Amino acid sequence: MGIWRRLRNVGFWTLCGLAALAIAAPALWVLYTVFHQSLPVIGWRLLTHNTNAGGLKNAILGTLWLLFGVLVLAGIVGVGSGIYLAEFAPRGIGQVARFFSDVLAGMPSIVLGYVAYITLVVQAGWGYSYLAGVIALSVLVLPYIVKTTEVALRQVPTALREGAAGLGMTERIILWKIVLPPALPGIMSGVIVALAISTGELAPLLFTVGFTDNNPSLALTHQQVPYLTSVIFTNLQLPDPQAQYLSAAAGAMSLLLLVILILIGRLITARSVKATRRMAL
Amino acid sequence: MSPTVNLSTGERRPLLRPGTSEVAPTADDIVLSTQHVSFFYGDVQALSDISLDVHRQEITALIGPSGCGKTTFLRCLNRLNDMVPRTRLEGQVLFDGEDLYAKSVRPIDIRRRIGMVFQRANPFPKSIYENVAIAPRANGQRGNLDDLVEESLRRAALWDEVKDKLKSSAFDLSGGQQQRLCIARAIAVEPEVLLMDEPASALDPVATQAIEDLMQDLKRDYTIVIVTHNMQQAARTSDRTAFFTVDQRPEGRVGVLVEYDDTNTIFTNPKDPRTEDYVTGRFG
Ligand SMILES: Nc1ncnc2c1ncn2[C@@H]1O[C@H](COP(=O)(O)OP(=O)(O)OP(=O)(O)O)[C@@H](O)[C@H]1O
Ligand SMILES: [Mg+2]
Repeated sequence: MGIWRRLRNVGFWTLCGLAALAIAAPALWVLYTVFHQSLPVIGWRLLTHNTNAGGLKNAILGTLWLLFGVLVLAGIVGVGSGIYLAEFAPRGIGQVARFFSDVLAGMPSIVLGYVAYITLVVQAGWGYSYLAGVIALSVLVLPYIVKTTEVALRQVPTALREGAAGLGMTERIILWKIVLPPALPGIMSGVIVALAISTGELAPLLFTVGFTDNNPSLALTHQQVPYLTSVIFTNLQLPDPQAQYLSAAAGAMSLLLLVILILIGRLITARSVKATRRMAL
Repeated sequence: MSPTVNLSTGERRPLLRPGTSEVAPTADDIVLSTQHVSFFYGDVQALSDISLDVHRQEITALIGPSGCGKTTFLRCLNRLNDMVPRTRLEGQVLFDGEDLYAKSVRPIDIRRRIGMVFQRANPFPKSIYENVAIAPRANGQRGNLDDLVEESLRRAALWDEVKDKLKSSAFDLSGGQQQRLCIARAIAVEPEVLLMDEPASALDPVATQAIEDLMQDLKRDYTIVIVTHNMQQAARTSDRTAFFTVDQRPEGRVGVLVEYDDTNTIFTNPKDPRTEDYVTGRFG
């Protein structure tokens, strides 16, 4: 009987290994290709020179600057709406808002880019600009932030709210002092995911921010903004091999940003898991 | 009779009526009075026609089998059930003679004056010190709260165990310690009435004794309503006892008040056979 059991064991572990490989392989494949292709141009030059001189400095700065805009705009609007939906909204309004949020979440980003182009770039007359891009990206990621905020708030035990209410605290103070602190890690990881999505988006930006070899300016309108995903897309179509290497390097840089964001998110959730586990005791 | 306290301002009116030298009648001894209170969770009735007076500076015990609505009743007394969606209360609750559920009454004003200790300990995910200080501070107390925190923890018989780790998390405490922390938190607000839902169910005999001592101590200034499953505790500590039970009705199981009297009477000479069965342990 020992042999069958051992065979079953081997089979089981083989399957486990294969499953793990199936998940890891695509990621490794992408990482390997991108880094391998960008090898010839990897160096400090990427950080010190702009895209017209074999570097990525302007695109990195532009991407970070766009992410900052999304953090502020989508962060405030999204977290605010999430709080409203979880804590204050009457049921009817909540259901309507959630429906539109779902529609938005499934919206192809290129459609969003098109709409932003027509209304903001053309009709509002902003031209290719920072503000148009930030708004397009923010609309794209808003549903994630709203959803995670709402879920994080609803996970705060009723017993805590009732305990606070039983002491005569006002609704506003209960929200700020009792409900928000334990929900904060969940809310923040939603915002981080939103930023990660923004990092990799191209379609809404193609239509809204344009591109420039210069460093991004602080102007909200009428000034084009450089960003990494555009370099990936445009440079690959250029005949010059150096330009193509830069395309891969921009991809590598986006991945690096993504990994940093994921790690930050991990750190936050790890802490919150610890906190919730203790809350359950 | 005319109310002695204005609920919306908390301002105490003189007990003497103008033009008379007569002290207001004994109804003033009644802090809380429920009149034909029925309570519904959605369509399900949990309490039926409860009329009961809570007397000032007394300990009133609520006893009865599990699920008979003791917690529900307690939560009607400080409007905590307002927070549960789709619930409904019929009848009246009077607090110092005024309608507790009147439109002009704000629930938060009520809850500051009628505090609550919950059946399951629910400390905030904060430090021990913060748990006690947060409500007084939120309710407008300024300055150093160290003395208030120490005093509240002492009265809840917890001070000696936590005085060296006030800054550590309340979740690091044992279940019984957490419950005493919740008691400390409630008395720090200095309510006039304290509603205690089985405060001693997770406590060892020493801590239970400390809580019972605390109740006797608080009784000099406050009024206490306590839910307990412990017959000895009800008999030992309370002045009056209300026995609730579940009534099987065609439309479902509903909580009713069987008998309400001096604790002594309830335990030695009850009028209703159901009460006698329960207190002598022949039921539930
Ligand atoms: N939030 C709620 N929603 C719906 N029904 C509820 C809710 N809370 C309590 N009930 C129901 O109301 C009835 C009374 O419950 P309650 O908690 O008041 O009983 P209790 O006397 O405190 O019981 P125990 O001694 O076990 O604590 C029960 O049938 C219970 O199922
Ligand atoms: Mg109960």
